[in-house]
Amino acid sequence: MAEFSWVPRSPLEHALAVGAYGARDAKPGISLTEIRNFDLVQVMARRGKGAELASAAEARVGMAAPDVPKAVSASDATLIWSGPDQFLVLSKGRKHAIDTLSQAFTQSASLSDQSHARVLISVSGAKARTMLAKLSSIDLHPAAFPIGTAAATSIDHTSVNLWRGNDRPDGQAVFNLLVFATFAESLWHTMLDASAEYGVDIGHSEEVE
Amino acid sequence: MLIAGSGPAGLSAALAAGRSGARVILCEEDFALGGRLLVDGGTIDGLPAAEWISRTLAELAALPDVRIMSRTTLFGVYDGGTYGAIERVNDHLPSPPEHQVRQRLWRIVAKRSIVAAGAIERPIVFAGNDTPGVMMASAMRTYVGRYAATPAKRIALFTNNEDGWRTVETALGAGLQIAAVVDARPDVSAAHRALAAKAEFPVLNGSVAGVEGGKDGVRKISVLLTGGARAEVEADGLAVSGGWNPAVGLTSYHRGRPKWQDDISAFVPDGAPPGMMAAGAANGAFRLGACLRQGFAAGAAAAAGAGRSGNAGTPPVADDEAFSLTPLWHVAGKGKAFVDYQHDVTASDIELAQREGFESVEHLKRYTTLGMATDQGKTSNIAGLAIMAAVSGRSIPETGTTIYRPPYVPVAIGAFAGHHRDENFHATRLAPSHHWAAEQGAAFVDTGLWKRAQWYPRAGEKDWLDSVTREVKAVRSGVGFCDVSTLGKIDVHGPDAGAFLDRVYINTFSNLAVGKARYGLMLREDGMVYDDGTTSRLADDHYFLTTTTAKAGLVMQHLEFCRQVLFPELDVQLTSVSDQWAQFSIAGPKTRDLLREIVDPAEDLSNEGFPFMGAREVALRGGIKARLFRISFSGEMAFEISVPARYGDALVRNLMIAGKQFGVTPYGTEALGVMRIEKGHVAGPELNGTTTAADLGLGKMMSTKKDFIGRVMAGREALVAPDRQVVVGIKPTDRARRLRSGAHIIPKGEIPGSANDQGYVTSVCFSPTLDQWIGLALVERGRERIGEIVHAHDPLRGEDYDVELCNPVFYDPDGGRQRG
Repeated sequence: MAEFSWVPRSPLEHALAVGAYGARDAKPGISLTEIRNFDLVQVMARRGKGAELASAAEARVGMAAPDVPKAVSASDATLIWSGPDQFLVLSKGRKHAIDTLSQAFTQSASLSDQSHARVLISVSGAKARTMLAKLSSIDLHPAAFPIGTAAATSIDHTSVNLWRGNDRPDGQAVFNLLVFATFAESLWHTMLDASAEYGVDIGHSEEVE
Repeated sequence: MLIAGSGPAGLSAALAAGRSGARVILCEEDFALGGRLLVDGGTIDGLPAAEWISRTLAELAALPDVRIMSRTTLFGVYDGGTYGAIERVNDHLPSPPEHQVRQRLWRIVAKRSIVAAGAIERPIVFAGNDTPGVMMASAMRTYVGRYAATPAKRIALFTNNEDGWRTVETALGAGLQIAAVVDARPDVSAAHRALAAKAEFPVLNGSVAGVEGGKDGVRKISVLLTGGARAEVEADGLAVSGGWNPAVGLTSYHRGRPKWQDDISAFVPDGAPPGMMAAGAANGAFRLGACLRQGFAAGAAAAAGAGRSGNAGTPPVADDEAFSLTPLWHVAGKGKAFVDYQHDVTASDIELAQREGFESVEHLKRYTTLGMATDQGKTSNIAGLAIMAAVSGRSIPETGTTIYRPPYVPVAIGAFAGHHRDENFHATRLAPSHHWAAEQGAAFVDTGLWKRAQWYPRAGEKDWLDSVTREVKAVRSGVGFCDVSTLGKIDVHGPDAGAFLDRVYINTFSNLAVGKARYGLMLREDGMVYDDGTTSRLADDHYFLTTTTAKAGLVMQHLEFCRQVLFPELDVQLTSVSDQWAQFSIAGPKTRDLLREIVDPAEDLSNEGFPFMGAREVALRGGIKARLFRISFSGEMAFEISVPARYGDALVRNLMIAGKQFGVTPYGTEALGVMRIEKGHVAGPELNGTTTAADLGLGKMMSTKKDFIGRVMAGREALVAPDRQVVVGIKPTDRARRLRSGAHIIPKGEIPGSANDQGYVTSVCFSPTLDQWIGLALVERGRERIGEIVHAHDPLRGEDYDVELCNPVFYDPDGGRQRG
């Protein structure tokens, strides 16, 4: 009997074609990068255990979980607000995956693994905000949506967790979108359509920011 | 803040607001910015208008947060500071450049808005005013002044106000001839008289009573002079100005009623939706200096209101030009005098409406269709009201205006649809095995947002039925698998998870052992069945609940509502994990053989080690973990296996490798449906919102030891009546006959009608196992009538035939196969 190979396949593997897309007369205005191979855990406080969870999170990841729509990053994990007394833990390398986190939060929270339930897309470039304005009703102006702001919202009738990461080295804003895996290909095409007029640089990465 | 219009008031408002630090969006429907300044010029801050516009645009462009959107019309005002705008991105081109759209609909949310949308010149109604060559005076000078187009060579002007004379100045400046000016005002300024003398044209005090001409244009104009004499003027174009109406649409869209202002004989805004102000001509200020002052003041006030306190600097300055107007709406004369050019409403139509008693403006509008064309009465309404006022002996403000409603300009439905057409009509969900199934040549069916593999055709199969029959036989005699990842999956966590499920399901889950699965049924509050599915207990405080594909989102909402609103005292947490797991049903007598190939040999899959309705995590060969659920929808020995979704593609490929020796066969939703009908399992057609648990034959599942949602209402008289339509099996008496869903069940020998309609066929299939068509039906007292022959009446397809009522479980009624 042969052992079987278990190679994970991204929901975007079929649709994502690395390289240029859309208008090519100028420097691409949009970068779309799929981040692959991450750990993502939904953490929800048990009834009345919000404060307990917050201190458990601080002990585990070294920072307080956001209690407003924010995303906060430590060296090896990002905590993304997803609702009252709940947040997502995004990381890589299994250090903060479901099995280890479950032990840390055993008294204070319920956890569900979402590592395979979502696709993570990072949007940046000079036209990123202009493009996202076609898809999202969230005001992404820097004054309204500074670095670290998060929103649980929808794009193209699909639930999305959206947050602004650290700016790129060239100063461009970075918007991260966690979208449901089964909707990802459809939403990807919608984003390509919305981005095409600005020129798109498409890629994927294993690096969680 | 949002500004509509880029004339002197709009630009001035943008300057004040932008300098104060406000985030500004200015929408201008024209391709060029400046409004009437582009034609009528003037001097602002000592500069010619064109230079002032350039300077102002440069200053606005240098501000960090001022966005100017040309070719964009603000068309609606909605609640909470929401506005609709239509941008004609590429309407000026024969076709949009590659990757671009023709139009784009914008939703703009603003704390404050300023309507600087200007005013619309209004006609004077007279006989022959539909002759080609009769134009609004402002339109004529726009052609000449902006587009270097000559609408006529010898132009007559008919005006009742000072502004109309601008057309004379523009025309003379372009070298055109003026035939005459007919001015209804008693006094014409000395400057205009001097201009007339110099350019050698007469100024006639009176009004235009008729136009001689035809489809080729105007030839001669008949003038009724003050005092009663008549005169004629030879001209090939007639410019008309009856004054200007402020654009009061946007300010009136929240049921605002504009008020009458005597000095300009026009309606002006009387209040506005929250956060909105009008400025400039839209507010009845027609002089350039006033437009600049009002716009600037509004811009500064709006910025301050939105919390911006930067230095707005000094306002632009211009002189206030002379203004005078003598109201004149309609000149009596022979021949048709049009009021609404788009809908062919004439002055006599309005007079008739009054005689017929349709004096109210809302009646006048609907009786004559005045103002109901695409311009929504922008040019015609006030003249129409004025004529109605005159014939009914009332003032214009007494006559009043109709209600203003968006959109301000016609907006194509396509702009609202935007991206959402053709294959993008709605978002699409793809199951984890989708691309593998596409490689296999699967036929896909739309199931809600999902694309699901319906069957997998093979070479030589002549139609879908061939493929489906092969798939069913393969499962029943060997092993097959089907992607069931589309089922809704919900993690129910917390110490009270069991208590919570006891309240939402009719049966009990708190006593379910860890490592076991149970079928559950939920009711709506009204006692009807809502949804069903299996729920497994994976830990003391962790259940894994599944829903039907169709109701996945709705059940999640329902459970969240129960958790947050109905039972906030319970410590329970819900998370949708529908997309986390790729789940496959593996069914058939060789299921265990196939699983043993792929599951770690240390896992005990025997009937003792993994009994029917067992549920637990197992290791797979090659290192990953999976969950196995020993549940069956097909009636066969079956497991459902789930792996984290990104391994779904690998799992399906590995199942094909591992199952090759057993002839493993992927099957689609059709075969799944055939096998559930053979087994008598209810699905969507039976869970149709009109059936109770008892109707489905599941009444005994309703616990009598606890309360649950829908329990009380399910006890209502009609819901427990003995003659309810209940699920029963049907077989045609003629074995060769095909059955169809939707056929009505009528007692045998009776003429079909609503009085003896006893139910209908809900689900049918060709059963490869029984080698005939079978079905499920909802039939009055059906379970008491097993063996009875009834009549199936299908008026839609014109079919009539007899069927036998039978046990809905056609296949393996004692369930030995799925337990074996």
